[in-house]
Amino acid sequence: MSELLRIQNLSKTFGRREVLRDFNLAIESGRVYGLLGRNGEGKTTLARILMGVIPADGGSVLYRSRPIAFGDSSYKREFGYVPEDPFFYEDMTVRGLLAFNARFYPKWDRKRAASDLERFTLDPKSRIRTLSRGMKLKLGLAVALAAAPEFLILDDPTSGLDVPTRQDFLRDVIRELAASGTTVLFATHLVHELERIVERLLVLRGGRLILDEDFDKVKAEHQASLEDIFVRLVAGA
Amino acid sequence: MFRALYFKEWREKAFLFFFELGILVLLLGQFVFREKTDIREWLVYAVLLLFFPFAALILGAAGFEAEYRQGAWAYLFSRPVRKPMIWLAKYSALLSMLAALWLVFLAAWLALPEFRGLVGDPRLLLGFRIEPGFPFWSLWQSVFLLTVAFSLSLLHEKQFNILFLSLLAGLGLTAAAWVALMSKAGWRLAWITPSKALPAFLISQTLMALAFAAASILTLVRSDFSQSRKQMLGFIRWLAPFLVLAVAGTGAWVRWTPVQGDRFLWFVTTTGGEPHYMTERGVFKYSAQASRIQWLTKATHLNIYRASASGGKIAFTAFDIKDRNDIVEELWVEDANGGRRRIIGRGPRENEWPQEAPPIADLLLSPDGTRLAILSANAYGKQRPRRRPPLWIVNTDGTGLENLPDDPALFEDLSDRYYFHLVAWAREGNAVLLSKRSLRRPWTFSLWLYDLGDRTARIVLDNAVIASWLSPVSPRGDRLAIKYQRPFDAPWGLALLDLKTMETTDIAAMTGEVGQALFQISWDPKGDRLAYVVRRALSGGQNVFVLAVYSLLDNRTVAEKMMTRSESSALLFQPSWASEGAKLLVLDREANGLKIFDEGLREIDQVAFPRWLDIPGGLYAVGDQVLIEDEKADSLWRVDLETRRWKKLY
Repeated sequence: MSELLRIQNLSKTFGRREVLRDFNLAIESGRVYGLLGRNGEGKTTLARILMGVIPADGGSVLYRSRPIAFGDSSYKREFGYVPEDPFFYEDMTVRGLLAFNARFYPKWDRKRAASDLERFTLDPKSRIRTLSRGMKLKLGLAVALAAAPEFLILDDPTSGLDVPTRQDFLRDVIRELAASGTTVLFATHLVHELERIVERLLVLRGGRLILDEDFDKVKAEHQASLEDIFVRLVAGA
Repeated sequence: MFRALYFKEWREKAFLFFFELGILVLLLGQFVFREKTDIREWLVYAVLLLFFPFAALILGAAGFEAEYRQGAWAYLFSRPVRKPMIWLAKYSALLSMLAALWLVFLAAWLALPEFRGLVGDPRLLLGFRIEPGFPFWSLWQSVFLLTVAFSLSLLHEKQFNILFLSLLAGLGLTAAAWVALMSKAGWRLAWITPSKALPAFLISQTLMALAFAAASILTLVRSDFSQSRKQMLGFIRWLAPFLVLAVAGTGAWVRWTPVQGDRFLWFVTTTGGEPHYMTERGVFKYSAQASRIQWLTKATHLNIYRASASGGKIAFTAFDIKDRNDIVEELWVEDANGGRRRIIGRGPRENEWPQEAPPIADLLLSPDGTRLAILSANAYGKQRPRRRPPLWIVNTDGTGLENLPDDPALFEDLSDRYYFHLVAWAREGNAVLLSKRSLRRPWTFSLWLYDLGDRTARIVLDNAVIASWLSPVSPRGDRLAIKYQRPFDAPWGLALLDLKTMETTDIAAMTGEVGQALFQISWDPKGDRLAYVVRRALSGGQNVFVLAVYSLLDNRTVAEKMMTRSESSALLFQPSWASEGAKLLVLDREANGLKIFDEGLREIDQVAFPRWLDIPGGLYAVGDQVLIEDEKADSLWRVDLETRRWKKLY
């Protein structure tokens, strides 16, 4: 498998709080990565830096061996992003948001967008402000999937979903993506969610990765559930 | 991508746009249905000074409102679109909304002549008269305010704060630029002329708008939107140097860019055979002895400038401007060689000085340069009995200021309004000649003599005025060239008035229609001959224009030369005596050169104009040196009749 993304010595500070410190990570294409960390450990910050929403204070990111600068936009055509807080343009309709996004992505799949709306029971005529948090998350996912991304960043997307949708999402959507060769970075603090889908486990603490291993290997080594492994890693440090 | 972003903005702000459009239509509708002129005038003020600035501010402040209110900025910035394009699409959408509002205004401006008249006419903002026509100043100001508000909308989520801050920044900077540039505040800005102020104001707004736009683009591209404090500091860090550059750019533009009407070169008088020119930098004369220009005063804001017939003294008034409310008119006298300059009056603040508005309307130096006649107001009407008499006499050393009483004979009809000008000293310094014109009967004009001994005035000639505003008095100071109509609807005649005896000698009369008064007189250096141009009617209704020389020694016209049939060419001839009276020069624009005649008006030579002389005019000869103004460039050139060498003097 080829290297898709390499993050080197990434750092980010908010005021006096250092959220990311000499953060290093290599992501190979076609794999599902699970990024675990407690609240405020920097998962969202990392996602936002990768999506060019906020600048890093230091370090570099290479996508397919090419450096990405803050302000670059072309690489984002191959990136999908479902943010933790599903804030869209509230006055738009579901169909309007899809049409708005369709102009940005060359590989936009209209059929996929339509079928995902049906699958997630989203009415195209609904105004976004009338949707619940869970529905908004589904809409965000539909947009991200329709863009047919090479690399999908899911920033804690399941926390607002009802149980059946969450099951559906984890079981079907992520598996579909993995099967199609899409690289997924799934950031969450809900540890048990990753158990069924993750191939490689990343644990973030104090602004650095304290674990970057294949999930099977970690499980074999620790002989415990992912939740226990996570608690042990975080508490033991 | 641009289209998607552009139309998203339109959809998002459609309500705001239609709300503003509704208000504009309501205001314009009020204009159509209201009949009272003052209410209509206020509606125009309301649209230009209130509606458009606030409409622009509200539109601009809404720029990034959706991203803040709905928390969508992270979502938008994660899309594959460059941030400058986001900025440009948003700004273009808002600008097109503003443009649509202005198009509605333009439609009203084109369709309603009364609206057009009021828009172009009112004196707006600090009494500065806006150029008539479409109010581009207001259009530009609204674009400026939109830009400022839009740039600031990037920084804060509170709409009201943005609006308020934009209002302070936009109108504050506007007001500062306006006050600084328009009011001529302080000596440092005194060189700004009103004709330059409006373009300077627009330039300053453009540069400031660019400063705000550049700072906001850089902030958008480089700042961290999750940290508002950092973002704000980033914006300020970018804005500060851009604003400094904007102010410096405005200053440089104002300082270095000539604006029409700002630079000028006027031939104001001659004395001792040397021409004097007034410029925006002061007054200089051409010194025959030194063969170069010599600055007589570097005073700016000059008003009236006079020289004595003997060539010994000059006198002028100049405004000393501290600010709009502290403008003092000063009266200066100095030797014509530039020495012994002294101020002899500062009005109208000083009690004993003529207190009228304008304080000094006209000046006249006595032929020997020892006394000065002053007219403190040249227009007199019903209020005359309540005001001080307008005629004053003062010695050129500043002593002996005296207000001379009016002679009631000067004002036959107290309900009329009269305009006076000082024409010449007469009777060897014992009388002053005045020209008078009635407002009620503007075609009537007369010459009056005010006797300084018995303080009485009497009419000398009816329907007569001086033949030239530059140098009507002969170099000896004893004759005045006048033009007259007898009766007032007859063709013009040219005559000489003896300033000692007040007797007149007819020289020439134009024939044909009444029309233009065309006597371009020029005294020879000794005052023995007078050259002039006169129109003669030929049979068949055609005219010919003749150059002629009248000799005071022979009491007759001694030479004539038919020059042209074109009146417009004849108006430019401006004859001037050269080589101590041995040659007469005429500027001939048709031939694009100077024509040189001998005393008998035989053409003996020509000097072609060089191609760098755009619009030749203002001809004056000093010996063998000929000075010619370039009326387009406001520059002064000299050509030597012997060597034919050209040199730029100013």
